Amino acid sequence: MTDGLRVTGLHKRFGDIEALRGIDLEVPRGQLVGFLGPNGAGKTTTMRGVLGLVAMDAGKVSWDGRPMTEDDRHHIGYMPQERGLYPRMMVHEHIAYMGRLAGLDRATAAKRAHQWAERVGLADRGDDLIQELSTGNQQRVQLAVALVHEPALLILDEPFAGLDPVAVATLSEVMEEQVARNASVVFSSHQLDLVQDLAEHVTIVAAGETQATGTVTELRGRSPVRHLEVHWAAATPDWSPPNGSRREAPPHTSRFVVPAGTDAAVLIADAATHGEVAAVSFEPPGLDEVFLELVGQ
Amino acid sequence: MVKEVAWREIRTRARTKSFKWITGILVAAAVAGPVIATLVPDNVTEELREVTIGLVEVDQGVEDQILAFTEGGLDVTFRDLSGLSAAGVEQALTDDDVDLVLEPGPTLVWDRSKDFEVAAAVYTALQQQELLVRGRTLGLDQGDIAELLTPAVVEERFANEADASEGVTIFVSFLGLMAAFMLPQIFGQLTLMSVVEEKSTRVIEVLLNHLRPRTLLMGKVLGVGALAVLQLVVVVSGLTAALLLTDFVEIPPSVWRFVPVILVSILGGLAIYNTLFALLGSLISRQEDASQVMMPVFIPLMAGFFVGQVAITGNAESVLVRALTLFPLTAPMMLPLRVARDAIAPWEVALTLTLLAFGVWLLVRIASRVYEFTLLHTGSRIGWGQLVRLSRGATLD
Repeated sequence: MTDGLRVTGLHKRFGDIEALRGIDLEVPRGQLVGFLGPNGAGKTTTMRGVLGLVAMDAGKVSWDGRPMTEDDRHHIGYMPQERGLYPRMMVHEHIAYMGRLAGLDRATAAKRAHQWAERVGLADRGDDLIQELSTGNQQRVQLAVALVHEPALLILDEPFAGLDPVAVATLSEVMEEQVARNASVVFSSHQLDLVQDLAEHVTIVAAGETQATGTVTELRGRSPVRHLEVHWAAATPDWSPPNGSRREAPPHTSRFVVPAGTDAAVLIADAATHGEVAAVSFEPPGLDEVFLELVGQ
Repeated sequence: MVKEVAWREIRTRARTKSFKWITGILVAAAVAGPVIATLVPDNVTEELREVTIGLVEVDQGVEDQILAFTEGGLDVTFRDLSGLSAAGVEQALTDDDVDLVLEPGPTLVWDRSKDFEVAAAVYTALQQQELLVRGRTLGLDQGDIAELLTPAVVEERFANEADASEGVTIFVSFLGLMAAFMLPQIFGQLTLMSVVEEKSTRVIEVLLNHLRPRTLLMGKVLGVGALAVLQLVVVVSGLTAALLLTDFVEIPPSVWRFVPVILVSILGGLAIYNTLFALLGSLISRQEDASQVMMPVFIPLMAGFFVGQVAITGNAESVLVRALTLFPLTAPMMLPLRVARDAIAPWEVALTLTLLAFGVWLLVRIASRVYEFTLLHTGSRIGWGQLVRLSRGATLD
């Protein structure tokens, strides 16, 4: 039994298009999970399936080890990819309204609206209409709306898209705060550097199927290749490791991609016979490369 | 939750400039109508037409008679032209110094054409004066002459006397018809736009995380409906206050008898049309497509309005009027005027209200079912065929 969200074998067909062909996703409590995939991979459909917005053809969505109920869904905070706000409502009013719909009493909803507006940096814009805010600030309101009822599960669809660096930092902090209070947080993003920094666990999907899931370190470790980078003390010698594929590199540096099973110590010793080695790094590829390997692009 | 959704609709719509302006204009028009109508007739009656009559050697008694017969209708002044030649008299007429000249004989001299209103008064005065002179010649005393000239008292009666309140009744019926025609149209479109806004801004995805489609639908229909009632109450209060304060027209007690029927009809109309417009709004994703889906709704609205207009003063018990009374989409327009005209049996009222309530219930049920599938649909408009299939329980691919 898993505490938190567990999605298994989701299938969904829209007419002739098979949008989901077996999606598995786990978001335990107190964990931040990156949900990655190229456009059209099925991320948004999966999220809508969890929210009950789209009926699935097959598969299970469970929460704390039992099928997710309508009541459980009241404890979900959702930030859709295409922002969903009423343009002619005021910031405080909007956040409080969503709090009310999520089951908060009037006083608590109003109090939380002020707290969250302040937390996302909109304390002085509380009485402004949503339509008067910039896109970035509207996104901050959207985040506040998703969090006003302190959800047990937070689903964020492309939350970083279009945000400036300050807003990215605020959002990242808020997401970590939610994890700290034992909420399950899942977010999708195409900014893989951000995902690598923020999420310990990731699930990668493509063509409606889960391709890989695990910690970032595990996924990188599962890659069939390693990156070797040698910094030479003098001019770059004419040296290549066996089975190595050379990559472009700056002066006094050699870069290669070698099979994962290669013994790094042997390579370094061989390199040292060709020139003085100043420094060496031998690492699995970054998340972006792992992602591209898995989605076949 | 229905209350929350409804309250949001009221709050956000009521503070828009367009709502405030329209309500303000309607109240101003409702108040201004009776006020202006009260002021205008007074001004007219105070301004009597001035007439100058030239007199050539005429008895003082004739002047008194003319003044008596023109009092309240004409503002008559006299000018003594005795001593003027015939040419001088005619010159006075040509120069418009006088409107007519009364010469001995008696003879009335006009300039070019006869003024019949003045002529009638002067003829009657001269006849009266002549009767007085002849009475004295015959030796009658003043009392006999007065008795002789006292007009006969003529009484009247009517086989089918018109009700004094009929005008007001027709006016109120017309107001009810207009309200039942206009309010569902205006506020129904507002409901449709509200649904489309939620779809186009994608706020619907966040809402449905917490609400059932049926709750959202009910809240929207009730909220926009309440806003319509609020506007109606404000405007009618202004009109009623203006009527009572100006004494422009007395509101007969019989009017209050059918006001509840008008209110129930308007509420029923708002419920059924707001639900219908909300349902149609869920079929589209862009406001530009609104006119396409709204067109069919205007057919029953226009039919009810035109037939209703004829029935207000014409036959309110024809087969067509009876049929449209029972049809839920036209009942809100037909029922009030038939009740006002006293052209409907109590059982028909009960049946009409029952059918209207059933129509609202059925439409809410269908709309809720369709809503579940159409609210998250984006892109192209959902066709009528698909709508029918959805209402029968099918799902969207």
